[in-house]
Amino acid sequence: MNNKLSCKEARILMMGLIDNELSNDNKLVVMEHINSCSACQTQFDSFNKLKEEEIIMNDLPLSEEIFDEYWTHVYNRIERATGWVILSIGTIITLTYAAYMMLKTFFYDESEPMVLKFGVAFLAIGLIIVFVSVLREKLRIRKSDKYRRILR
Amino acid sequence: MTDERQAIVACKAGNTENFRFIVDKYKTRAYQAAYYYTGNREDALDISQEAFYRAFRSIKRFDITKNFYTWFYKILKNLCINFIHSKKSRRIYYENSNKNTFTSEITSSDDNPQVQLEKKERSQLLKKALDELKNKDKDIIILKDFQDLSYAEIAEVLNIPAGSVMSRLYYARKKLVKKLEFLNE
Repeated sequence: MNNKLSCKEARILMMGLIDNELSNDNKLVVMEHINSCSACQTQFDSFNKLKEEEIIMNDLPLSEEIFDEYWTHVYNRIERATGWVILSIGTIITLTYAAYMMLKTFFYDESEPMVLKFGVAFLAIGLIIVFVSVLREKLRIRKSDKYRRILR
Repeated sequence: MTDERQAIVACKAGNTENFRFIVDKYKTRAYQAAYYYTGNREDALDISQEAFYRAFRSIKRFDITKNFYTWFYKILKNLCINFIHSKKSRRIYYENSNKNTFTSEITSSDDNPQVQLEKKERSQLLKKALDELKNKDKDIIILKDFQDLSYAEIAEVLNIPAGSVMSRLYYARKKLVKKLEFLNE
């Protein structure tokens, strides 16, 4: 590293010095600049004071009761999600079967007019197409959208 | 690290109980991070727990060679952002965050009451100044100074070049110092 740092360079590298992310050589170069420049020295001192305040804030003890039942709440969410998936699958199977039986009875009933049967058939086909289209779009977005974790 | 890796492998196989090890290890950091964003104990608990649940749900996609916490932090941060946006849209976030002070979370320690009170007051000023920063500046300070991530980990979380971390930190800290007059005395 160039031993003659500008103040701007030195101030940015100060961060690495404070956070212990500089190599020993770089530490020496930055320290040399700080020791020879009063403006950078002042800034270095204020950054160190900030760090001390942050350490105090971070070290203030949290009350233990905050974490009472913490795991239980996480576990409940996991368990409930599994429950919802199983419930949803069961509901879909049951409703699909009920719809199939209703439609079967309806279409085999000769007393129902043919026009109504066509109407119901188009309605069912239309619903399936719309459902598949929305589902396909959702899956495509889920696969390609980098902001998918952001709830809209 | 080995224990953590073993726990993650077990979680990937669907073992819920092993996830407890991960939750116990990171719950304090997760809660604190959520608290810095929400300023409210209940919301921080709720969001951090939701983040753990979502992490478990997605753990099969987690690359075992990577750092778990940096991956988890992205989920947590996104939930915090959603929370802040939804609160802002209801225009009650700032009122709430001002009512719920940081000091309410803190228990007594060995310091005498006067010293403890001073520390709490200064911490409140610091929290207030932190909240006034732009998200970009606040994020990097939380990651480094309160979550204690390395520069490489911060670069990964924020998706920025490792070389930019130091300069972003400098400008963010400079703004924070400017807001805290007692540091310049």
